[in-house]
Amino acid sequence: MKRRDFLRHSFLGTAGLTVLGGLARTAEAAPAAKVLPKLTILHTNDMHSRIEPFPDGGQWGGLGGMARRAALIKDIRAQEPNVLLLDSGDIFQGTPYFNFFGGELEYKLMSQMGYDASTLGNHDFDNGLEGLQRQLPNATFPFLIANYDFSKTPLAGRFAPYKVFEKQGIRVGVFGLGIELSGLVADKNFGQTVYLDPVAKAKEMVAQLRGPERCDLVICLSHLGYKYENAKLDDRKLAAQVSGIDLILGGHTHTFMDAPEPITSPDGHATLINQVGWSGINLGRLDYEFSTKNKRAGLASAAVVPVRAAC
Amino acid sequence: MSTPPALRRVAIWLAAALLTASACQRAPYVPTAHFVPVTSRPVGKTQAEDPAVAALIAPYHDKVTSQMAEVLGNAPAGLVKGPGENPLSNFVADLQRVRASQALGQPIPLGVMTNGGLRAGFAPGAVTLGSVFELMPFENELVVLDAPGPVVQQLFDYAAHIKMAVSGATYTVTFDGLPKDIRIGGVPFDVNDNRTWPIAISDYLATGGDNMGFFKGLTPRHTNILLRTAIADYIRDLTKAGKPVTAQVEGRVKAN
Repeated sequence: MKRRDFLRHSFLGTAGLTVLGGLARTAEAAPAAKVLPKLTILHTNDMHSRIEPFPDGGQWGGLGGMARRAALIKDIRAQEPNVLLLDSGDIFQGTPYFNFFGGELEYKLMSQMGYDASTLGNHDFDNGLEGLQRQLPNATFPFLIANYDFSKTPLAGRFAPYKVFEKQGIRVGVFGLGIELSGLVADKNFGQTVYLDPVAKAKEMVAQLRGPERCDLVICLSHLGYKYENAKLDDRKLAAQVSGIDLILGGHTHTFMDAPEPITSPDGHATLINQVGWSGINLGRLDYEFSTKNKRAGLASAAVVPVRAAC
Repeated sequence: MSTPPALRRVAIWLAAALLTASACQRAPYVPTAHFVPVTSRPVGKTQAEDPAVAALIAPYHDKVTSQMAEVLGNAPAGLVKGPGENPLSNFVADLQRVRASQALGQPIPLGVMTNGGLRAGFAPGAVTLGSVFELMPFENELVVLDAPGPVVQQLFDYAAHIKMAVSGATYTVTFDGLPKDIRIGGVPFDVNDNRTWPIAISDYLATGGDNMGFFKGLTPRHTNILLRTAIADYIRDLTKAGKPVTAQVEGRVKAN
């Protein structure tokens, strides 16, 4: 460690302890203060216009359905104080509902379910930039995307790179990353949208969210895809190259993961990756508890702990 | 009462003020992830529906259902799929050429559709929009490939192996499964001709789907028309012209 860094860390360490010391005394004074803030993250990816359950028969027969998902989410919201509902893109395309209504119903239903944010998948460009623009008024939630530059398109200024949610004093920074559109989406459909390097953008986002935005938890909504055998960037490679992301909620590859996968990031902390298949067959759920330990080591030892009693 | 919010805010603010020196320093709260036994919750039949959401869906559902029932045309005989030359692939591959020619304003001499690319044939009788969705559930785009002689040769090598018809062409399969006497628009094909042959095809096949890897090096020209839309429109046009939905096996592939 460089001397300057060492000094800075020592100083911050001491300062942190002082602040925490003050907090601890406050906690002793108020006996009921041991309740730690909790956050429940619910998420979907690649819902692909699957408004209704898959028809009976076939691999996914009888599964999914947005009216059921809405009820499930409502139940969880009734039990948990702090819920964030997130999506990782490819909301559009896959059933006649998209062909007939261009995504109108998808956005309206997600709004009604209280989605907090989504990012953009490649199929969300299937009706072109104009098709996307037409549907935006139906969405009451933001689309977060850090690595598409829309400044030369009609959608300039319509999307933020990130959003900070505050839940019971916890600051949660959420940013979005999209896949390279060229080759996946017809040129005409993404127009002058410029794809920017997701790794560089992710580092920028982390600096912003961990720095000035003072976030306690940093979540990346990614439509990069879970894993490719070739050099193409995926969520696992992103996690291994960028420090400071707690959780990557992925999409694009329609991967059914049994459990979130921890990947060690360059600073030694684990970044979790989760993806829950497609078409709303599953609703992903992760529960976080927050302590006021101000030690980076605290996160490195964060374990995947199944809460058997839950649900 | 939990931690007095005002005090905690001050504490957090203090910590944050001290921490801004380093962007990578963790913020005051440290998250620990806990997972329910199954982090992905299946949305299955036992899950009740939210009535408000179901009510929002209902009118859209009814519209989809009624639009799917729209009769586009009539097929006096069923159009079936199958290995080798078959009526359904001929029908679709031919209309691909027609629509691509209209879209790009030039004749398209060849059209390709594999048997596997079409999911279900047309039953005799009314052809509805629903039938077209069953035939072509994929969101494939109609594109045009400009194939040079050697790629066209590879296409016919592939076709001969499975006796697949190619719209706009005829050929004969030799005993050892190779194509010979290839004619495109009635003209004998010469692999050494210094020109390209435009092929109307789905973007799926154009990018190497169904093992058509030989197309991968070519850059498709987009029509921005979904193949399903092209099929539905073509049937509507037939009906407008008073014509039925028909296709024959007409000897595009001759066995030796």
